[in-house]
Amino acid sequence: MIKITETKLSFYKKRIKSFVGRFLESRLGLIGVFILVFFIFISVFANYLSSYPISATKGNPRDRLLPPNRKYLLGTDEMGRDLATQIMYGGRISLAVGFLAAIISGVIGTAVGLAAGYFRGRVEDLFMRITDIILVIPGLPLMIVLAAILGTSFWNIILVISVIGWTGTARVVRAQVLSLKERPFIESVKAIGASDFRILLYHLLPNVFPLIVAQMVLRIGNAILTEASLSFLGLGDPTIISWGMILHWAFSVGALSANYWWYIIPPGICITLVALGFTFVGYALDQIVNPRMRMR
Amino acid sequence: MGMRDYILRRAFSCVITIFAVITINFFLFRVMPANPVDILVSPLQGMERLSQSVREQMIKDLGLDKPLWEQYIFYLKDVLTGNFGKSFIVPRNVLDIIGERFVNTMVLMFTGNVVSIFLAIVLGVIAAWKRGGKFDISSLISALTLSSMPMFWVGGIILLIFSVRLDWFPLYGTVSIGARHANFFEYIADYGHHLILPAITTALVNFGGLFLIMRSSLLDVFTEDYIQTSRAIGIQNRTIIFKNALRNAMLPLITIVAIRLGFMVSGAVLTETVFSWPGLGLTIYNSVNTRDYPVLQGIFLIITIIVVLTNFIADVIYGYADPRIRVGTNSRG
Repeated sequence: MIKITETKLSFYKKRIKSFVGRFLESRLGLIGVFILVFFIFISVFANYLSSYPISATKGNPRDRLLPPNRKYLLGTDEMGRDLATQIMYGGRISLAVGFLAAIISGVIGTAVGLAAGYFRGRVEDLFMRITDIILVIPGLPLMIVLAAILGTSFWNIILVISVIGWTGTARVVRAQVLSLKERPFIESVKAIGASDFRILLYHLLPNVFPLIVAQMVLRIGNAILTEASLSFLGLGDPTIISWGMILHWAFSVGALSANYWWYIIPPGICITLVALGFTFVGYALDQIVNPRMRMR
Repeated sequence: MGMRDYILRRAFSCVITIFAVITINFFLFRVMPANPVDILVSPLQGMERLSQSVREQMIKDLGLDKPLWEQYIFYLKDVLTGNFGKSFIVPRNVLDIIGERFVNTMVLMFTGNVVSIFLAIVLGVIAAWKRGGKFDISSLISALTLSSMPMFWVGGIILLIFSVRLDWFPLYGTVSIGARHANFFEYIADYGHHLILPAITTALVNFGGLFLIMRSSLLDVFTEDYIQTSRAIGIQNRTIIFKNALRNAMLPLITIVAIRLGFMVSGAVLTETVFSWPGLGLTIYNSVNTRDYPVLQGIFLIITIIVVLTNFIADVIYGYADPRIRVGTNSRG
């Protein structure tokens, strides 16, 4: 028994080692990790890095809409709040929305993909039909409708993004399950009488897991962008500050026509870099774990 | 399996999708919220209190006092006969509002996307042909960066530079307010002047994704045997690219554009909002902020049906152009 676990352990160790080795070879993946570490760091330690308090309502009324200067490195907004502080704290919300939405849609997509790939027949037809319908409906309008009805809160935004975002994962997982199912190791566990549930959970899920993670990482950036779009359209939670909400306030106080460039440019750069970071990392992961991508 | 079977099967799935969308639309606005009466009848809480009798009359007019299944039948009938109800804010039919705004959205999406499809093909060919080269890598990174940018922010920056700072283009709308156009051509010129920045934004927003797909489908074609053979026997590169490869890569483009249509519509919502371009997207934005649910619901339904139908047409064209697709059991994979 002990021997088996030991060989298993060394097997995993080897796999992880080869995985890390291949990831380090990917220049894009490394750039992505570097960008993400930076933004996660400033978001997590925002309270140590910033010398101004964070407030949704109060600022320094004498210092309204100042361009970047020595006192306020990135300038101030219409209430006289320090924009650098807002951006650091905003990163927390934007990243949280991204991670949570990606996890929820990953779970939904995995469940649907596993079921559709494994059971075939009616289950597959139904699940794939639903997937196709959601795929064909224009995403943003559907999310706008959902958010407008559900109301704008932190969790509703996450819910709305997740409900739309699981289809890609479902398709990837299903395709992989379809090919795994024909392999001898699945047939043999079936032959010794393993239940469907056991096969799905212990034999198929571990094999598709790396793919799911790659998909999730790709989804995080997407979710952050979607949150920004919804916030811009006035569907964000007005009581919390995300990068999207900062841009929303910037647009609504007329920062564009008044040329308050410092209010508009930095939050957008943050969103772009973080989304790009997740894309790079997800792309690098996908190259390693997705059998269809290995050839490229 | 023949062409007829293929079209019938696609048409069937198209009808199911439209039916599902109508049903989703119905239940979203009636069942999910705590109280449908509040959503459909008195959205302007605080701003305008409806008296009890007016409220009851509206509930009756909208049929909200009837059982749900009856409401659903009425709703289906209304939608199929083009009756989308009246706006809460202006005394007009939803369908009239949509009709008025529809053209502006079409013009914007068409000009912007023609540019981005053209660019995606040209740059995609060059990148895929010299795969792994400097041009390939740099255009790949630019495309990834472009698709990581918030679309409305890209539009905002373009507006900030070219309208606010340089003052080359107008800030909003389709024509200058108060301007009198002596003739039709002057009107077109004014409209075109307003169109340039939103169209560029639309093109930029959609370029990234289109380029990535174009490049990867060309990579598939370029690695096929007949291309390799043509290269080996010394046929000119230009001939190979334009006569053989591009022809085969254009086929998936039909599907790609159809599939990405939903994404393009999403982009239009944001672009129109930034540039105050009076199309369907800006109307969605306005109806969200004024809680004008009938308009929101109507536009959502119309654009979804258009996207579904376009996908169906693309499937049919594809079926004619590529006989292989008709044989496959599930073309969507």
